[in-house]
Amino acid sequence: MNKFFIQKLIRQHTKLTRNHLTPELCLRLITPDCLLWNASPDRSPFDDPFWAFFWPGGQVLTRYILDNPKLFYKTTVLDVGSGCGSTALAAKLVGASRVVANDIDPVAEVAIEINMEANALQVTTDTSNRLSSSLDEQFDFILIGDMFYDPLFTDLIATWLQRHKNASVLIGDPGRYSFKNHPIQKQLEHVAEYVLPRTCQIENNGLTTGNIWLLKNDR
Amino acid sequence: MSGLRVLVGCKRVIDYAVKIRVKPDKTGVVTDGVKHSMNPFDEIAVEEAVRMKEKKIVSEVVAVSCGPAQCQEILRTAMAMGADRAIHVEVDAKNYDTMLPLHVAKILSKIAQEEKADIVFTGKQAIDDDANQTAQMVAGILNWPQATFASKIEKVDGNLKVTREIDGGLETISVKLPAVISSDLRLNEPRYATLPNIMKAKKKPLVKKTPKDYGVELTSTQQVLKVDEPLTRQAGSKLGSVEELVQKLRDAGLVPS
Repeated sequence: MNKFFIQKLIRQHTKLTRNHLTPELCLRLITPDCLLWNASPDRSPFDDPFWAFFWPGGQVLTRYILDNPKLFYKTTVLDVGSGCGSTALAAKLVGASRVVANDIDPVAEVAIEINMEANALQVTTDTSNRLSSSLDEQFDFILIGDMFYDPLFTDLIATWLQRHKNASVLIGDPGRYSFKNHPIQKQLEHVAEYVLPRTCQIENNGLTTGNIWLLKNDR
Repeated sequence: MSGLRVLVGCKRVIDYAVKIRVKPDKTGVVTDGVKHSMNPFDEIAVEEAVRMKEKKIVSEVVAVSCGPAQCQEILRTAMAMGADRAIHVEVDAKNYDTMLPLHVAKILSKIAQEEKADIVFTGKQAIDDDANQTAQMVAGILNWPQATFASKIEKVDGNLKVTREIDGGLETISVKLPAVISSDLRLNEPRYATLPNIMKAKKKPLVKKTPKDYGVELTSTQQVLKVDEPLTRQAGSKLGSVEELVQKLRDAGLVPS
């Protein structure tokens, strides 16, 4: 699909909304006002449109950044599994100097670009698989918003993070099974807890809060 | 995490809205090409478990289904409703035909022990065989207290206060944990899963097991002799007057002449 067509499709099936934990940002998402909200997944023109939802772990991590602007001012930030790009955009909004929004889904990249425009913010998008090898660039922060939903993928990220402890790794997670029961828990320091807004709770049945964790580094 | 772990049994049954047809050879009902969904009472059990999770009484909801490969769709639905993960105990079509509530109860009991569950939750009965046995048998096998036909569940101190629907009214009991609960119709109204929930449920962990993994042999102690449709009502007729009706009743000897 060409980019122009994807842009059109995204605009057609999503709505700009501030009805989430970080109203400072305006994001294109599939909301209850969209036709797809009540549709079955086979009616979706996108394969797994994970970028079209503001995941609870992403919401709390984005909130944390906006609540702690000084921490991120003039820093370099890598947002892995960026989705709609909210976490990367928040880092940029509070003054990070270089922000990379990484997501292997090319449709997510287009969605992030649309969201950049909606918020008049500029971040670098990137669709390479960063988890396949060690980073060749040093970042002050590596941000992981709600990536621990699947046990195999959790192992993959946890292993990869061990090699990047020279950065401050911040994780946002709503208490997913694969994360709660992973050995990486021993290396985490609890940073903050947020109650998820009702809008987020109804699209994530069973989840009501989200937490921020810092991966303890060896330095 | 100090919350409870709940195991919810989810049976795949013919959808409640489908008109059931008996096979011509009377060995069972037609299931091929027929819409299936989660047993409505099990859906109520999933909903209650998720609500308890939302109230932070429960920390983890595990959905379990025994049956053919398509049971995974039922488990995905349970996870879209809010279950954290799922266990599919695969039983091939041939063995599934003769599977009994006792087999399911043995499997659920074993999983409950392995997973260190605090609550085993099922629907009060499945709408296909209407057996109403699984929850009670699980309680028997595990020697856990049972609260069947629940229409309200509260956590009071360390125990569960359960309101049960019984003949002629309601009974309120207190059960110690671990316990087995079966849900009645009025416990709650299950939510519909929306696209975001369905999408995200695709990423939740689902493990596949077999009855053998739990040391359960599916030998049946029952034999189905035949399955019949309910008798069809004979057609009635419309009468023109009260006199005509009385005459008919007299002819049939139903009123004195």
